[in-house]
Parts: sequence; structure tokens; C-alpha cells
Amino acid sequence: MEISFSSEENHFREECRQWLEANVPSERRPHDAADAIDFDKAWQRRLFDAGWAGINWPTEYGGRGLSIVQQVIWLEEYAKAHAPWIGANFVGNNHGGPTLILNASDEQKAYHLPRILKGEAIWCQGFSEPGAGSDLAGIKTMGRVEDDEIVVNGSKIWTSFAHVADWQELVLRTEEGSQRQRGLSWAICDMHAPGITIRPIRKISGQTEFAQVFYDDVRIPIANVVGGLGNGWKIAMSTLSFERGTGFIAEQVKHGQRIEELIELARANGMIKDDRIAGSLAQMRAEVAAVRAMTYRNISEVVRLGQPGPEASVIRLFSAELGQRLERMGVLLRGGDILDFRYESGDEAVGDYLRGFAATIAGGSAQIQRDIIGERLLGLPKSR
Amino acid sequence: MDLTPNDDQIAFQTATADWCRDNMPLEQSRARPTGLWAEVEAMGWTAMTGAELGLDHATEALVFAELGRVLAPVALLSTAVAGRWTGVAGKVALALEAGSGVRLLDSEGATHALGLIDGAIGWFAIDDAVEAVDSLDLSSSIARIDRPAGVERIEDPRAAFHLQLLAAAFAVGCADAARDMAADYARVREQFQRPIGWFQAIKHMCADMAVRSAVARSQLYFAACALDEGDVELPFHVAAAKRLAEQSALENGGDNIQVHGGIGMTDEAYPHLCLKRAHLLKFVAPVEDAVLLAN
Repeated sequence: MEISFSSEENHFREECRQWLEANVPSERRPHDAADAIDFDKAWQRRLFDAGWAGINWPTEYGGRGLSIVQQVIWLEEYAKAHAPWIGANFVGNNHGGPTLILNASDEQKAYHLPRILKGEAIWCQGFSEPGAGSDLAGIKTMGRVEDDEIVVNGSKIWTSFAHVADWQELVLRTEEGSQRQRGLSWAICDMHAPGITIRPIRKISGQTEFAQVFYDDVRIPIANVVGGLGNGWKIAMSTLSFERGTGFIAEQVKHGQRIEELIELARANGMIKDDRIAGSLAQMRAEVAAVRAMTYRNISEVVRLGQPGPEASVIRLFSAELGQRLERMGVLLRGGDILDFRYESGDEAVGDYLRGFAATIAGGSAQIQRDIIGERLLGLPKSR
Repeated sequence: MDLTPNDDQIAFQTATADWCRDNMPLEQSRARPTGLWAEVEAMGWTAMTGAELGLDHATEALVFAELGRVLAPVALLSTAVAGRWTGVAGKVALALEAGSGVRLLDSEGATHALGLIDGAIGWFAIDDAVEAVDSLDLSSSIARIDRPAGVERIEDPRAAFHLQLLAAAFAVGCADAARDMAADYARVREQFQRPIGWFQAIKHMCADMAVRSAVARSQLYFAACALDEGDVELPFHVAAAKRLAEQSALENGGDNIQVHGGIGMTDEAYPHLCLKRAHLLKFVAPVEDAVLLAN
């Protein structure tokens, strides 16, 4: 075991640092998704042009083909440089793209992957439904196969960036009468297709970042199905396990920046003299260090074994809950000023705190994660 | 960067676990056979990082986590640190500051004791007539003595980090033992015609134990490497490892009793042994918030 990086990796880190120092935009990412989309696309394009998009994606599809360790180094420097959140490009970069790399045909990869990396195509996710949240296998959205097309009817919800997206990773039922995990397919849905209606939903933080999507006889070519008709569950799980494994490294890295800001703030306003606050900050600083250690362990396992180990779900859960405690401390340290928060005020501390409640709901709730840990890591009997 | 054990390290870890299972199980921790210490010394665990073998702290931490899992004698901590940083040979008791005096733990057969005294790590000779009685941790005796006059300080600052790291490793093992004991019981104990581990109230409690264990173990690995590599943030990383490990041992220790229910309240069952060990380890090289907050 070792924590030192190789000289090649240290050199790469220096390159990241220098580029970020010269290129991180000074203006803040706009507050609302509709305004932020141009910003997000432009920033993604700039990253791509400079060779910082898809660091560990295959070179034939526009990536750099570098190691996952270099990807982590980039994300560490990205957080340290206070570079903007990738926003609308999140799903393409962190779910859709990686799923395509693992499962898609050469044609599908050749078309979509470079567009994601260049910021030309925004992706959204279509998994949850009004009646299928944690119980993902309860999906009802139906795709009737007609010749070389699927005709889709139904609805998806909590779809982040739906109203600015070009494509959607859509999981739907393509076998009439099929139950649970069987008969599902994973398809690439054109969000501009006729029959799609998007109803934006406002979040508790004021943004309308997510939406409900309705499908009324929407036609998707069968050529857009990834991994073959009826294999949707398997493909969806590859995305979810990715998400629980390495998809949230950026979030884990960000905690390191956040805790230092909080300690600085508590020193500046004198609240650190309160032993309970000092104690909690000390505790969280230790936990943030442990998240980094867990991420490194997880990455080392990916390098050694080709995939994240079973403890990946532990990091996802612990990091999400730690993030929420950090944001709660951020709000506590602000005192009564948080009462001046308005949806339009762009107060990031309160916005991050409120948005952060999603971390233990989206991509598998904390309760589902605890089931997985209990059942897969400890061998307890399955509850469902 | 690689935070997974290599093949050699896994071999040490497995060999330790196997030996402990056969010769030093947790179930015997409150009444170890006489002569065990000599066998333990012969295994070489207290000399791993000494000049002769010169192994790394990462390997040592993996081994000590396995030893901690069976609630191995606590003098292994002080003896290993003495073996690395002093010329003292043989068993060295663990010394904990106690007001105007000192508590000696696991002092049977020891000629010296080692611990943090007046903020610095040092060692001193002990009188073999010192009378030891049972302690809260039923695996260790305790003896109260006056503050020793001739404490030899260890000048190398790494010695104190070494003690803190090994205590963290012991606590990681202790937390793992409690987690496994709880999960094993939850798989077989039935109520309402089902194993209690089927119920999410129990399952999620066990999951939280697994989370704490994994968090503490990860930071332990990082801290051990920081000590091996002379990382500039060494004091912070070892303190973080110790803090997270002692907490996970304490909390898993309590939860393990809860999962066991009534049987967990009995002296006869094993869950209380982990909890009591966790309390002891908290006092070995304790962590100050200031170190965790330092720039």
C-alpha cells in the first residue's frame, strides 16, 4: 500500500492545476437551469477543447484514454480550483456516457459519446416514475414494439435537466404483461420527439432543475435500444453500480474543499470557540479524510480488479450523509442570515443545504443503500 | 497510489487471522492460557517494524487489526512500539496517565512499561511486585502506581504516532469483531418466525456498523502509509484514524449488545467484551480536537 503518486501522475496534477488556474471562469454559474444551460455547454466545450473532458474515456470516442487515477487527480484539482459544477452535463458524463461505453454498439458510441464530451448533447435520466421510486422494478411506462420502432406511453419523474436535454436514458417495459425486472429495455430517447411533454417541477431550493416527463405515442427507433430488447434491468444496474462506485467521486472530492471553508468561516466569526462546534468540525474533518481514503481504496480496487468492490455502496451512503452534515454546519455557522434567503437571492450556502437533501434520495435512497449493505456485505436475509 | 493490500500483505494478514483463530480466539480473551505471551512473541508481531525485520507500518497495521479482532493482549501495542523505538526487550506493559499516578495495563511478566506521560512518549522500569487486579476490560489486568521517577523519553516524534496508529488498528479490529458478531446473530436468531436480520430496523443497524468499520479501516490504511512515507500531514492522518476507529469500536460495541437483546446483557455472552475493550482503547494515545483542526 502507498499513498504517494508516481512522478508521471504528479506531473499530470501540475498540468491540471496550471490549466485550471488560468481558465476557471470568474463569473458564477447562473442560478436557474434555463439560464445555466448556455454556461454549462460553453464550459464543457472549453474543457473538451483543452483535453479535459472524458479523461478516462476511450480515445476513439473523443476521450483521453488516461487512467482512472488521473481522472481522480483531475477532480481533486478541479475542486481545489473552485471550478464550476458541471450542471446539465452531469448525466451525460456520469451516467449515460459510462453506460454507453460499457454496453452500447459501436454506432451508438460513435454518435453519442463525442457529442456528450463536446457539450453538444445534454442528457437526462428516465428511471423513476410516480409509482416506481425506490421500487425501480415497478416501472409501468410501456413501449409497444411496432416494426422497427417502439411506441412509448407513460410518465417519468424527478428527471433533472429534462427541459434542456437532447437525449434521455429511458428504462421502459417493452414486453406487454411482463413483471418486475423482466421485459424492460434501456433506450436512448430523443427529447425533441413529438409526443413528449415536460412539466418542470420547482425544488425546495427554488430552482426548476427537475421535471415530470409525459410520453404520448412517442416513437423511438429500435436501433436506439442499448444492449438488446428485454435487457434493460441489467443495463440499468450497470449504471447504478457505476453511480454507487465511481460516479460520485466529484462529490466526494468536493467535501474536502467544503470542510476547509467551514473551519475558516468558524474561525472568522468566532464560533469555533464553542467546543461543540469545534468538536463537530474536527470530527467532520476526520470523516472527510476517511472519504478520500475510501475513494482511493475503491479506485485501487478498480485498477486491480477491473471493478469497484462491494464496499462502493458504503462510500456512496457515507459520503452523501457526510455532505448533508457539512451543509447543515454551513447553515448553522451563518446564524440568522439564512432567514433572508429567497428563491431568487442566489444564496449558495442555503441553496446547497436544501439541494443536498437529494443526496440520500436520488440514485438509491439511504434506506435502499442500507438494505444493500446489510444483504450483500453482511449476508443478512433479503427483505424484498 | 494504491490502498489495497498487496499479496505479501494479504499473506501476513491471513496468517495472523489463521493463527488467532486456532490459538488466541476472542472467546478466551478474559482468561488467556499462561504461556500465551511467549507464543505471541515468537510469532514476531511485536518486532515487525524493528531494525531486524524492517517491515512497513502498513503491513503492521493490517496484522494489528487482525489481533485487535480477537481482543489480543493490549501489551502488544506497547511492546511493539518499544521494540521499534527503544532497546527494551521482552514484554512491555501499557502505561496510561491517571491523575497524579499511572495505570499499568497487562503488566504480568513485564519488566517495563511504555506510554504517554506528561505529553511525551516514554518508558520506565516497573517493579515486578506491583499488584494487578481485574479491569473494566476483562482481557487486561490493571495496576495503579505512583508517577514513575525515571521516565526515558523517546525523542523521535514518530514513536507517539506509532502507538496511536497501532491503537487505531486494534480498535478497527474490535469494531469488525462487534459487526461480525451482530451480523452472525441476526442471521440465525428468529423472532416473529423470521431471522431478526430480515427486519430493516436490525438490518440497518448492522449496515451502520459495516459503514463505521469501512470508514475507520480506510483511514487506518491511509494513516499507516502516511507514517511509512513521512507524509507532511502525518499527525492529522493518524489522529483521524484513531478518532474514527475508537468511535466505530465504541458504537459498534453498543449496537452489538442491542442486536443480541437479553443475551447481550449477560456476562456469559461475548458482546460486552468488545464494548469494554473499546473503552480501554479510547485512552491509549487519545486524540485532541486541536490536532484534527490544525492547519
